[in-house]
Amino acid sequence: MPDTQQASPAAAPPMIGGFSPVLSLAAAALLMVGIVVVAPSFLDTYLVNILIRAFFVAIAAVTVDIMWGYSGTLTFGQSAFFGIGVYALAITFTEYGFGTWQALMALGVTLTITAAVAALTGWLSFYPGSTPLYASIVSLVVPIVLVQILYSGGTFTGSSSGLVGFESFDLSFEDWFRLAGLSLIAVAVVALIIMRSDTGRLLTALRDNDARCTYLGIDTSRMRIIVLILTALVASLAGFGYAAFGAVAAPENASFTFGTRLIIMVALGGRGTIIGAIVGALSIEVASAYLSGSLPYVWELIIGVALITVILAFPDGLVGVIRKLVRGLHRFQATETVRLRPLTVSTAADKTSEMAIEVRELGKHFGSLSVLDGVQFKAHRAELLSLVGPNGAGKTTLIRCLSDGRERSTGHVAIAGQPIDYLPPDRIVRFGLGRKFQTASVFEPLTVAECLRVARTHHAPPSLTSTSTFLDLPAAAIAVLERSGLGERLSEEARNLSHGLKQALELAMVLALEPEVLLLDEPTAGLTRAERQGFADILTTLVSRDRLCILLVEHDLDFVREISSRIIVLHQGRIALDGSVDEVVNSALVREIYTGQPSSAAEARP
Amino acid sequence: MLTVALDAVTTAALLFIISSGLLIVFGVMKIINFAHAAFVTVGGYAALVGAWLGLPWLLVLPLAFAAGAVCGGLTEAIIVRRLYQRPLDAILATWGLGIVIGQLVTLVFGREVQFVQAPITGTVDLGSLDYSAYRLVMIAAAVVVAVVFTGLLGGTRLGLSTRAVIMNEMLAQGLGVNSARVRLVTFAIGSGLAALSGALITPLSSVDPNMGLPWLISAFMLVMVSGGSLLALAVSCLVLGGCQVIVSTFVNPILGGLTIAILAAIVLRIRPEGFARA
Repeated sequence: MPDTQQASPAAAPPMIGGFSPVLSLAAAALLMVGIVVVAPSFLDTYLVNILIRAFFVAIAAVTVDIMWGYSGTLTFGQSAFFGIGVYALAITFTEYGFGTWQALMALGVTLTITAAVAALTGWLSFYPGSTPLYASIVSLVVPIVLVQILYSGGTFTGSSSGLVGFESFDLSFEDWFRLAGLSLIAVAVVALIIMRSDTGRLLTALRDNDARCTYLGIDTSRMRIIVLILTALVASLAGFGYAAFGAVAAPENASFTFGTRLIIMVALGGRGTIIGAIVGALSIEVASAYLSGSLPYVWELIIGVALITVILAFPDGLVGVIRKLVRGLHRFQATETVRLRPLTVSTAADKTSEMAIEVRELGKHFGSLSVLDGVQFKAHRAELLSLVGPNGAGKTTLIRCLSDGRERSTGHVAIAGQPIDYLPPDRIVRFGLGRKFQTASVFEPLTVAECLRVARTHHAPPSLTSTSTFLDLPAAAIAVLERSGLGERLSEEARNLSHGLKQALELAMVLALEPEVLLLDEPTAGLTRAERQGFADILTTLVSRDRLCILLVEHDLDFVREISSRIIVLHQGRIALDGSVDEVVNSALVREIYTGQPSSAAEARP
Repeated sequence: MLTVALDAVTTAALLFIISSGLLIVFGVMKIINFAHAAFVTVGGYAALVGAWLGLPWLLVLPLAFAAGAVCGGLTEAIIVRRLYQRPLDAILATWGLGIVIGQLVTLVFGREVQFVQAPITGTVDLGSLDYSAYRLVMIAAAVVVAVVFTGLLGGTRLGLSTRAVIMNEMLAQGLGVNSARVRLVTFAIGSGLAALSGALITPLSSVDPNMGLPWLISAFMLVMVSGGSLLALAVSCLVLGGCQVIVSTFVNPILGGLTIAILAAIVLRIRPEGFARA
């Protein structure tokens, strides 16, 4: 193995300027705790009051950052969950008075309603085929619906004037400041630990390339719903605290204006950093408190202009700009050393089904146009089946119909002996299917090692708290890494790789799934001759040694002839020929299809 | 009963006029223009200024359109153009622009609600009932917008380019369509339509700096449900707008205001292609 992989002992965490990130995070957190405990004695009451509210708002902003900055869902809806916390407390205390059981009840109501609303919102927003834009708009609907419900709630919700005058927790300003400040620090520390862990990298993968995640067997809709519910719960607790301190509930606390304000805070502070969300929230809250009274409209105007400027010129926000300035000292150096560990995979022999792909009477129609019709074939393990045919023959459509149960219009498909019914790709992948896309599809912002770890999500669930220093991969994936030279570049970001290396990385990721059936859509397109030869060697080894079944879409007939054990010719949506390499290559029909001329004319040419 | 039916059709007409500008921008650029509400507001104030100056109504409408189109063109050239690769950021930036326009309007015209006299007042006698004449004019306006729109898309060179960009932008560029210009013009027209609709609705409601906002969510959802097709948009406006009127009349107006958003979300969940292929 190359030196870089063994440069540091496995036990030692990566270093930043002599401190490990865990230690520097702990030190920073302790420093902040100290400041929060001491600060209220030095600040004037007005500022303390403002900051207590700002701390709770900042917690909600952190949840927006996790949803948007890390997972890629621009959400206007976190204010609704904040508002649920505010109103659950206000209504409970107004109706039943203040006391221990009332407080517990309010807390229970907050969490229950929030979880239910978040689950419903998630169900409406995230499903196979929903777009991030659509999810954003649904998130906008949630606070609007909630506010309308509050308006029509009469005295129960206080309608447009909200609820005031209920008794709440009797703490001094200083204690509230410490409570809110420590809560914020706790939320920030937990969020930072999770976001820097392997689970956090999985969220980044989700943001960067949803389709690739799905085809790595990850149920992305479910993951997004889980993230939404968890962040919603935290946001609702922030609202609970906010109302407990202020003893006021107003519809504005749940409004989508507040929801957009949270996004603006995160955008200005710096998305995807947690710290940026806090910096943005605290500075905007404090500045609004001082400025919105004296110049109300101008202040809003400044915020609007600042938002546009930041989005256009500094998309990474304030923290991003600062990071750029001090680059070289920070994080960018902290390349983690990951060591590969070969897995002893329970290989082919013990798998029961010899049948890898079975397709019967498969059809795909768009209205009266039929793209695929009556396609029928079988493929066994240890077969390398090539799918050839002119452009528009339906090759990629066929691949899609094999890997996504909802694509085909008619017919039956079984992968590794299991019918795919109408299942989404992530379920079919778990039957033992691996699909490599036509254009290299990897996770651009992740390192090579992280990409591979995401591919292993199902076999080795990622850690919530840390980044693992080992990466267990099946031998076939390691072979691809070593052959392509990626093994020495594990800590390089995927976006910096050449086209050929990205193709190799994607193949390694797919192989990390330990598939039984591999679908490859033009894997050699745009590769050099040497890279192509490397690919051919890898594929033939996979078939002969690991007994994989490979279905390959390819235009290059020489390449196909060299490696295939069987060839299927697809023409105008039907199988024109299915036979051995010799049969197909020497067939008059194939020449006719490719040249577009009757075979006699084609043969007449010199 | 007839009143409810007329309310449904006129509401659908209003919704159609407001959403059509959003739809064309969504169709070409695959982004939702969050400043759309602000452009509606611009149109409303254009109508107000026109009324102050005593301009004839038929002159006010093209002026409102022009004001919106100029704002939209500038927005595309200065902001949106740089964000095509980042559609979610385009949402945010246009939202920021919406805030800026709203505050500028507030600074110039003040915060208070103002009214514009309808150019056509009174009612039309429809046998058993009298119905607001101006609301009936809205139906005609919606038909005019739809006809002009279809004519532009189907009968002009720009329309042909636009349809090409909607179908396959890369291919259109390859065939020599200047897609940057198509985007600029589309955004300007979309924004102009927003302002035109603002001018048209002012006599029915009132003018204030946030007048566009209540329409925004319904318009967003209608566009999502219709998936970029003008015909599907008309159908969605009739069906969902009708539901809104029915709920407002027989259940309660607040729930009525949410009908479109909620129904559209459910429709899209069950049938992700919406009404596009209905």
